[in-house]
Amino acid sequence: MGIKIDALKCTGCMACEMACGYHRDDGFALLSSCIVAYRTREKKDYFGVLLKREEDLLIARPEGTEIRRLGETEEEADSGKEQDASAKPMLLREACDLCEEMEIGPMCVKFCPVNAITEE
Amino acid sequence: MDYLSADKVLIVDLGTSEVTEDDLSEDLVAEKIGGAAIAKQLCEEHADGNPIVISTGLLTGTLFPATAASFITAVSPVTGKISHCPVTLKVGLEIQYSGFDYIVLKGASETPVFLWVHDGIADVTDAADVWGKDVWDTTESWRKTMGDDLIQTLVIGKAGEDGSDIAQVCCNYWASGDRFGFGKLFGAKKLKGLAFRGMGLLEAADAPEFVELSLDVLEEIKESGLAGTHGIGDLMAAAGHPEAKDWLAPIVHRHSACYNTPYATNTFVFLDADPKQIEETDNPEPGFLVTDMGALLGFHKIGLSAAEACQCLKACARYGIDGAAAAELSLAAGKSTASEIQESLLGLSGKATVAGAGTFSPWCPVQPLFDAAEEAGGDPSAWWERRMAVSYIFGIHPIFAAMCPEITEEDLLEVAGIGTEIEFAPETLDKAIAGLTG
Repeated sequence: MGIKIDALKCTGCMACEMACGYHRDDGFALLSSCIVAYRTREKKDYFGVLLKREEDLLIARPEGTEIRRLGETEEEADSGKEQDASAKPMLLREACDLCEEMEIGPMCVKFCPVNAITEE
Repeated sequence: MDYLSADKVLIVDLGTSEVTEDDLSEDLVAEKIGGAAIAKQLCEEHADGNPIVISTGLLTGTLFPATAASFITAVSPVTGKISHCPVTLKVGLEIQYSGFDYIVLKGASETPVFLWVHDGIADVTDAADVWGKDVWDTTESWRKTMGDDLIQTLVIGKAGEDGSDIAQVCCNYWASGDRFGFGKLFGAKKLKGLAFRGMGLLEAADAPEFVELSLDVLEEIKESGLAGTHGIGDLMAAAGHPEAKDWLAPIVHRHSACYNTPYATNTFVFLDADPKQIEETDNPEPGFLVTDMGALLGFHKIGLSAAEACQCLKACARYGIDGAAAAELSLAAGKSTASEIQESLLGLSGKATVAGAGTFSPWCPVQPLFDAAEEAGGDPSAWWERRMAVSYIFGIHPIFAAMCPEITEEDLLEVAGIGTEIEFAPETLDKAIAGLTG
């Protein structure tokens, strides 16, 4: 079982990020979420979702999903290539555990108002 | 105040740059609940300083659906009384997490300043380098200077600096719900704006129960008549302007939602790139995020094309001008082309129509939307005023409140009680609303 993200359905509302933060912190916060709405290209209307998994980083872009090994985004940042600012701290966060200990998880799936995030 | 709160009220004297903090009194929350109701009281307490109060709703930034809104409260240059406008997108959320529940800005600075609010710290900071810059360049400058692209801003442009009657406080780059000339008030105080960033934590008294009730309400919403609707186009159709939806459609790129709001109330249009392009465009400024249906309809009424109307909205946002007022005053002045309108924007003066009682911003259409019409019954104006009062107290996105009867007052009182351990009775809400609207 895993998480599937349709970035074209996503409206960038960040409910997934807050729901994941709740799972991590038992309160409302965004710092520890393993799923993040990337939103730094505000003037270009280019947004999607990042999900940190055990082995890799899933980047759900409007044009399709990309999977990168962990650390790759930091290497690119070092090379000067433009990056999502929100991608950089992902290495420091816990990987997605599908909210395994919660009765109503995965929380990001449950709280997505437009069903852009589903279980597969 | 232990729960759903940063427990801090910030008082800023712009005349002296002195910044002080008070605790947020739990008794005050038990009496007024939150948001604009408490902001109004703070406004009255500090009346000698002609204050602007920035407030968060009691539920702002939580997992309860549509808790996107914070608010600006002040004596409006337009209405001459205490009025309130919403702050949405992700700005309302960031205010909540930057460390203060309420920010009172009183007095006036002699030199341009802005307030930098981050992680429970607030600094009155020199803004000489951005005074004279437009809204877009100012937000860009602050993000670059502070090294964080996620900083959220409330900012004025040239119109506010020059004391225009129709100056608006904008959110990041985009139009806000300010129909009350608060941009003029910012300018008179030499306050270029506020920048927010925070990584705070909001605790709920009984978090699992809070989340469970929030999810129940969300599931009801997902099964309602709103399913499958989105954007400014559907909003205009629901408000009785279906032709405007078709007019806008060819330039629509994507729709986006304010924080945790189940309906995407914003629509990005591409003006200088192919709207069908889904990959990231190379153009750094391909278009404009339409956040104000009333303003768009105003330019539609003049007879502009959708692209021309959105170019006018973009010009308004850069200058920090209320687009709806600009459209109305342009029409009255006989301006009929996009270039004529854009050239005359900074010279526009006069007062535009303010629908409603002047307490809550008519940026939210003054009518029930979608399935809410049935709930509004025979007196939609009275229904709207109460619905706005409720949303401005709890922090619910006002436009979503006007379209979503599934969010009930009973649910809000219950979830507020679960979140705070304070018992909120319906009579408490009635009194808070009476204080707000009276």
